[in-house]
Amino acid sequence: MSELATLARPYASAVFKRAKETNSTEKWSKSLAFMSAVLSDAEISVLVDNPKVSNERLSALMLDICQGQVDEEGANFLKLLVQNNRLTLAAAISKIFEEYKAESEGYVDVEVTTAYAFSKEEKQGFTSALEKKLSKKVHMNVTVDKSLIGGVLVRAGDRVIDGSIRGQLQQLAKRL
Amino acid sequence: MQLNPSEISDLIKKKIENFDLSAEAHTEGTVVSVTDGIVRVHGLSEAMQGEMLEFPGNTFGMALNLERDSVGVVVLGSYQHISEGDTVKCTGKILEVPVGEALLGRVVDALGNPIDGKGAIDTTETAPIEKIAPGVIARQSVDEPVQLGLKSIDAMIPVGRGQRELIIGDRQTGKTAIAIDAIINQKGTGIKCIYVAIGQKRSSIANVVRKLEEHGAMAHTIIVAASASESAALQFIAPYTGCSMGEFFRDRGEDALIIYDDLTKQAWAYRQVSLLLRRPPGREAYPGDVFYLHSRLLERASRINADEVEKLTGGKVKGKTGSLTALPIIETQGGDVSAFVPTNVISITDGQIFLESDLFNSGIRPAVNAGLSVSRVGGAAQTKIIKKLGGGTRLDLAQYRELAAFAQFASDLDESTRKQIERGQRVTELMKQNQYSPMSVAQMAVSLFAANEGFLDNIEVNKVLDFEAALQSYMKSEHSQLMDNINATGDFSDEIKNGMLKAIQTFIKTHSW
Repeated sequence: MSELATLARPYASAVFKRAKETNSTEKWSKSLAFMSAVLSDAEISVLVDNPKVSNERLSALMLDICQGQVDEEGANFLKLLVQNNRLTLAAAISKIFEEYKAESEGYVDVEVTTAYAFSKEEKQGFTSALEKKLSKKVHMNVTVDKSLIGGVLVRAGDRVIDGSIRGQLQQLAKRL
Repeated sequence: MQLNPSEISDLIKKKIENFDLSAEAHTEGTVVSVTDGIVRVHGLSEAMQGEMLEFPGNTFGMALNLERDSVGVVVLGSYQHISEGDTVKCTGKILEVPVGEALLGRVVDALGNPIDGKGAIDTTETAPIEKIAPGVIARQSVDEPVQLGLKSIDAMIPVGRGQRELIIGDRQTGKTAIAIDAIINQKGTGIKCIYVAIGQKRSSIANVVRKLEEHGAMAHTIIVAASASESAALQFIAPYTGCSMGEFFRDRGEDALIIYDDLTKQAWAYRQVSLLLRRPPGREAYPGDVFYLHSRLLERASRINADEVEKLTGGKVKGKTGSLTALPIIETQGGDVSAFVPTNVISITDGQIFLESDLFNSGIRPAVNAGLSVSRVGGAAQTKIIKKLGGGTRLDLAQYRELAAFAQFASDLDESTRKQIERGQRVTELMKQNQYSPMSVAQMAVSLFAANEGFLDNIEVNKVLDFEAALQSYMKSEHSQLMDNINATGDFSDEIKNGMLKAIQTFIKTHSW
């Protein structure tokens, strides 16, 4: 995983710079997400790993699948990945690209897991509280997980704020 | 002891009452690979060098390699239950171990957990295992002795409080024996001892503990054990753990003595960890920072002045200096002191006690090579009387070494040369000493005085030790006041000189041996 990130970083940063130049970060973000979705498909990944499938066939196939979803530059990028045998990095590239995008636009992607669904006001209040704490704008993605028992679990990149009853019970168990 | 059920529930209740229910914020990462005790973790972007990381199953690790996309962690203890994808949490703390008086008399592992079956250690204080050594301003020069209780060492290679004196020699030359005698001799002196066993057999460690108990030396001793069967990471951190425990005493204006037995094995353990972390190997496959590994450890052994002690204790202890004396041990292969680790440690320490297998096998025990052994700072700390009397010993032995080759032509030699050879033989004999029988300053003074004044010259070489034993028991029974006087003052006054002279003359006239 860490090796993938190291390999993917130059690609992601190149794509991001290009996207900034052409003012098309949103479009690139979508096309990268689509590419990684395609490549996470089991059948496609078998094809990618298969040495019998030549690079030409693979790039033709990829371009076919992605038609309409990627523009000309996106197609060039796909060809480059095929040529360098780095198609498997698509997901990692997309992830790092999103990180760059978030950083340059000054927000953080936050995953929030709650035991019970938020009401609208709660969500509003929670967002502003988080923004204060992280001193950045927050793009929140909320999922509901009953196994937390109560409270919330916030995940922003590597940082985790565990305010769930489950986490507190685990802490207590360790202390005893 | 029967545990009272209500006690337990009371305890638990208290813990629950004091349980702090704040939301826990930390950084997390995921395990990418586990190889021979080294775990690579993805994420953990805020991890510090040397930070304690928490794995599932109450296991801890130490972050050693911080790379762009991963962190290299050594697991402290068993790593069999850790698998790919496990979450790893930052604790925000550098690795810490318990310290304090309560550790005296205990045997602990490299993390400070008791392993002697005597229950939990009653201390709340902890200290990080890696600390920066005291600065230049905080230090004071070494001017008080640590008596190791061995004639040959205290007379010729004196060790002062706060000194670092290396004990070096091949296997089976009595390195550990010197260390154990040194610990036994600290009984009643107020010097606390820490014995760090690294990569040794468990049976050897058990033996040391038993011997110390037999001689009543466990009460002032802490044993830190990282045996050969424990992970390389634990063997690598054990000396730092012991050092932090010793610094506790130093920083409170007390004196402590720490023995690292041995640093060769620690360097091996560190080499293993480094190679598994894929750090580039250098000479003898050791990593580039193997010198710093030992220098930062030994630099922490020091004498600090009263101002620093006052500052560190917040004004509670005034007018007392603190010291931590280190006796690192290095095992050489085939007497080769020019190997990598031995040369490093020789250059770091303030002198070395060099032990030789040839001497050991010819019955000279402790097998100290008086020519190659030095103490660079101990001379200033030596007790006055031993300094005065021991100076001659060194000279006698040096002259003897030059002439020893001619000893077999004794009949063809001139009078003065023969005398020197004979004196040398007797002094060499006198320097022998049994294990577990350390001597007081007065006892040593009497023996050295007898040699200096030429009382041994008329005694057959193989009778020297018998003579010494008889003389010591005579002095103990007939002149205990004189002996106490020497032990108390350590001076070599005319009164003491004449007292010893008369006593020995009387002894020779009236006793047999």
